[in-house]
Order: sequence, then structure tokens, then C-alpha cells
Amino acid sequence: MSGFQIRFKEPTPNRVLIADDDPVMTHMLATILKQQQCEAVVANDGREAYRILQSDSRFRAAILDMSMPFLEGLDIIHYMRSERRLRRIPIMMITAEQNIKLMTNSFSAGATAFLPKPFTPEQLESAVRLLIGSQNRRRGN
Amino acid sequence: MLVEKVASLSNERNSRLAKATGSITNDVLNVETLRAFEKIKSEDGSDFVIELIDLFLEGTPQRIQAIREAAFEKEWGLLKHIAHTIKGSSSTLGLHRVAQVCRELEATSLSSSDAVGGLVRALESRFVEAREALMAERKRRLQ
Repeated sequence: MSGFQIRFKEPTPNRVLIADDDPVMTHMLATILKQQQCEAVVANDGREAYRILQSDSRFRAAILDMSMPFLEGLDIIHYMRSERRLRRIPIMMITAEQNIKLMTNSFSAGATAFLPKPFTPEQLESAVRLLIGSQNRRRGN
Repeated sequence: MLVEKVASLSNERNSRLAKATGSITNDVLNVETLRAFEKIKSEDGSDFVIELIDLFLEGTPQRIQAIREAAFEKEWGLLKHIAHTIKGSSSTLGLHRVAQVCRELEATSLSSSDAVGGLVRALESRFVEAREALMAERKRRLQ
């Protein structure tokens, strides 16, 4: 018998991790994701997001608030980019900070997209659509 | 006599509600910003704007209480963090006056307890205005 093996490419998961301590924001994001046929997995702070990511990497994308209790969005990005199994997951940072340096820091750390608050529903929808489409483009699906 | 008093209170209340959706709307609540979220459809078909209003009104009093406690305990990091969270949702929902006080709380040096106390009281009264405007919008949407 030859050692020939066929490996099927895993389908892109339809789950998106949302990490934000504001229920208004998590509800907005989860509803928009459902409209895009994605399931939202919600973490209410950075530590919860970290715990989820320790054992689960089946995410199509992650949406992180910059400022959260226990662990900040940037800490989560650093963790995700340091773990091989999480490295390819596109990340969008959301923040109410008006500081341009934070945007630079987010991209340097490995964020794929950055959305400042306040945002309109159109801006949020198109950012989410681009984010969840970005993994397909990377995979060449 | 009592009927007149009730009628007068009712008129006063109605006038306040009218003001909340009318003349003071642009200052306290930018209804256009809030109503823009109508285009997002809830899974169960309910009014998404009402869901956002309810979530904001449910969570913000606890957050303001936490700010009050943080100010008392001089936990400035926590105070700024909570103010930052309220700023994010209030500005997105069009509650500019609430967002403005939160911005000031975040920016203040926090070395003066009087200044912080004044801003916390301002946040409380801005929230009362915001709640009234949001309740008026909620009522309008249910009609």
C-alpha cells in the first residue's frame, strides 16, 4: 500500500468570536452576524475571550473591543498571533478611542480591520461583511 | 381639584415627552442616529431599535452606580474604563450629551475629587435626560 493520503480541506467555520463588555455592542454585532449566516460566540471580557480561545480555534473571525476588563483587545491579538492554530483568524478591533496611535498599534499587532466608535449601521455591516469574507479570500474559496 | 392637578401633571409630562422627541432631541438624543439602526433586522422580527434602547437603559444605571463607587474609592482606572464603555454605546446611539460627560471623565486628571464629583453628578443628570428621550422614542415606536 502506498502512503498516499487525501486530505480534505476543512470547511470555513461560520462562527465569529465577539469580545466586548458592552451588551449594546455585543447585541448589535451578534444580530448583524446572524444576518450574514454566522453564529456569534460572545465573551463579556478579555479573560473570557482568552479562555475560549485556549480550547477553541474554529472561528471564521474575531471582533474585539480594545478596552475590556482583565485583558485588553491588544493582549488578545498578541495571543492569537502567537498561536499557530489561531494565527489565520481575521481580527477586527473596535474602539471608542479617538487615538490614531491605537489603530497603528492594532495593525502592527496583527489586526485585519479597525472600526472606531461611533459607527453607523452601514459602516458596521460593511466592516463585518469584509471581515468574514477575508478568510475566504485568503483560502482562495 | 384633584382632576385638574392630574390633568396639569399629565400635560406637563406630555410636554416633556414632546420636547424629548422635538426641540431637545438634537441635543440630548440625535434620533436620526438612533433610527438608522432600524435597518438591522432582529432574528425574531422585533424592533431592533427598541432592543438597543432597552439594553442601554438596563445596563447604564448599574454602570453609573459603579462609577459613583469607583469615585468614592478613588479607583481611577476602573472609573475611566466604565466611562469609556458608556461613551461607546451612548455615542453610537446618538446620546451626545452623555457621551460628552464620559469623554470629560476620561480626560480629567482625576486629582480633584470635586471635579470628579461634579462630572459624576453631570453624568447622572445627562442620563436622566437621555432616559426620558429614549423612553419617548420607545413609546413612539410602539404606537
